[in-house]
Amino acid sequence: MDVVAAIVFAGALILIAVEWVHRTKVALVGASLMVVVGIIDQEQAVESVDWATLGLLTGMMIVVGLTERTGVFTYLALRVAQLSGGRPARLVFLLAIVTGVLSAFLDNLTAILLVVPITLLLADLLRVSPIPLVVVEIIASNIGGTATMIGDPPNIMIGTHVTELTFLDFIVNLAPVATVTLLLATALVYLLYRPQLRIPAERAREVERLDPARDMRDRPYLKRSIAVLLGTIAAFFLHSALHVEPAVVALTGAAVMLLVAADDVEDALERVDWSTIFFFLGLFVMVGGLEAQGIVREVSDFLGDVTGGSRTAEAMVILWGAAAGSALVDNIPFTAAMIPVVDELAAGQEFDDTNWWALALGACFGGNATIIAAAANVAASGIMARSGRPLSFLQFLAVGAPVTLLSLVLASVYLLLFQL
Amino acid sequence: MALLRELELPPVSVPSGAPFLEAARALLAAETSAIAVLGDDDHVVGVFNDDDLLRGLFPRYLEELHHTAFLVEDGELLLANIEATAGEPVDRFMREPVTVEIDSSVAHVVERFLHTPWGAVAVVEDARFVGMVDQLAFVRHLLNRLDIPTP
Repeated sequence: MDVVAAIVFAGALILIAVEWVHRTKVALVGASLMVVVGIIDQEQAVESVDWATLGLLTGMMIVVGLTERTGVFTYLALRVAQLSGGRPARLVFLLAIVTGVLSAFLDNLTAILLVVPITLLLADLLRVSPIPLVVVEIIASNIGGTATMIGDPPNIMIGTHVTELTFLDFIVNLAPVATVTLLLATALVYLLYRPQLRIPAERAREVERLDPARDMRDRPYLKRSIAVLLGTIAAFFLHSALHVEPAVVALTGAAVMLLVAADDVEDALERVDWSTIFFFLGLFVMVGGLEAQGIVREVSDFLGDVTGGSRTAEAMVILWGAAAGSALVDNIPFTAAMIPVVDELAAGQEFDDTNWWALALGACFGGNATIIAAAANVAASGIMARSGRPLSFLQFLAVGAPVTLLSLVLASVYLLLFQL
Repeated sequence: MALLRELELPPVSVPSGAPFLEAARALLAAETSAIAVLGDDDHVVGVFNDDDLLRGLFPRYLEELHHTAFLVEDGELLLANIEATAGEPVDRFMREPVTVEIDSSVAHVVERFLHTPWGAVAVVEDARFVGMVDQLAFVRHLLNRLDIPTP
């Protein structure tokens, strides 16, 4: 039965990577197969679902979705474009920073959905190719999302699974390396695209004429929505002191948002990306099947043998392995499979967070290697394709691969100097 | 009551593969909010409606945006898109057709209208295109049949 479980999971990973079938269908069919064939029983399947991750995702989708209606994120992106004064280097860095920060505190997929359409419009106004700007945003979203527990799905899964790790732990351990990586990666992207980023002076003035605040005037619930969003983020910082789980913070934020800033509950709940929620659900059951069949233990034993029990070797294998796996498949299913492996590696030992940071850095930074490596990349390329400006696999790889390599070298140095 | 046979159904259509600009002109000349896109043997392979016209004329990313009041002046922003899409095949812009048989009941036609976001559906007979029926024209004719005066 363990061979069948491995085949089902590997088959699902391949189908998710090649996108022949919608990933949610793949995950749900894979999960059903695991249960129907008897790889995992029904009770185990229900127990294997990380409900905290689903709660955190759902809650934040409501909070961020309802805040988005106010136009505040559009305002931020436009103000940043105006601050650049039409200077390409400044524009690239400011877009990267605003995308990185939005990704860290909203989540990187949402950040991309917010900034990419505006960027296409800005690129038209400035008469430049949108590709360099969108590529830098994708890269910034994955690196910025690395900085917090809620910024990128791999971190959400790790953060809700490992209860010893708090929101603040993520920021203290990941934000500094993410910030340095963001600045250096943006510089690299700028150098690679510099010839394509010449902005005529008269076009730069077009951006000056925009009125960013116009969309926010007379928006209902503007102050309330922003207050609830900021309150929710503040509560994340305090969740450990308050003894509440991050999922409770997100769901409470969503409940308050629904209460004070939503007239139509049905409309508000449409902000939840239910296909993503069901994708995670199916994924958790499939990984539960691997655990039930002892495959997770076998992989972790193999990793233990390869690294000879060395903490440094273990962390490096997890970091680079997670990046390679994420680049080839998608960092969400890869992280879901790796979490029990990292758990197993630490079985019977005193709690050590190093391997978790290695996994987070590898999976999130690995998300920049290819256009299919992270949900944010896939979403951005979808918007580009629908807008008639397709971003090809190779076009992205030409920039994503060197950026990922640079990021992983920085992450390795960081782990060696500060964690090992 | 097969009301559709009593109605004048404008046979507004373009062949599959026609340039976007030809479809746009046909739609603007038609008195319906959608026209049919026909394949071989007059089969309806798609519908091109007023939303598709906007999507072709203007940048597609506008659909992804929810806040655009910040654009005080459009300048030449939109013109480039019109030039780029004029020669593209209509098939890139059309959507799945919604059809009704010419002998359909009133209830069935109304049900199709209610589940079609644009106000026109293609009428077919033996799977061949007959014409487009516009929602308002259909309702007007129905009310007239019931001796309820309409403007």
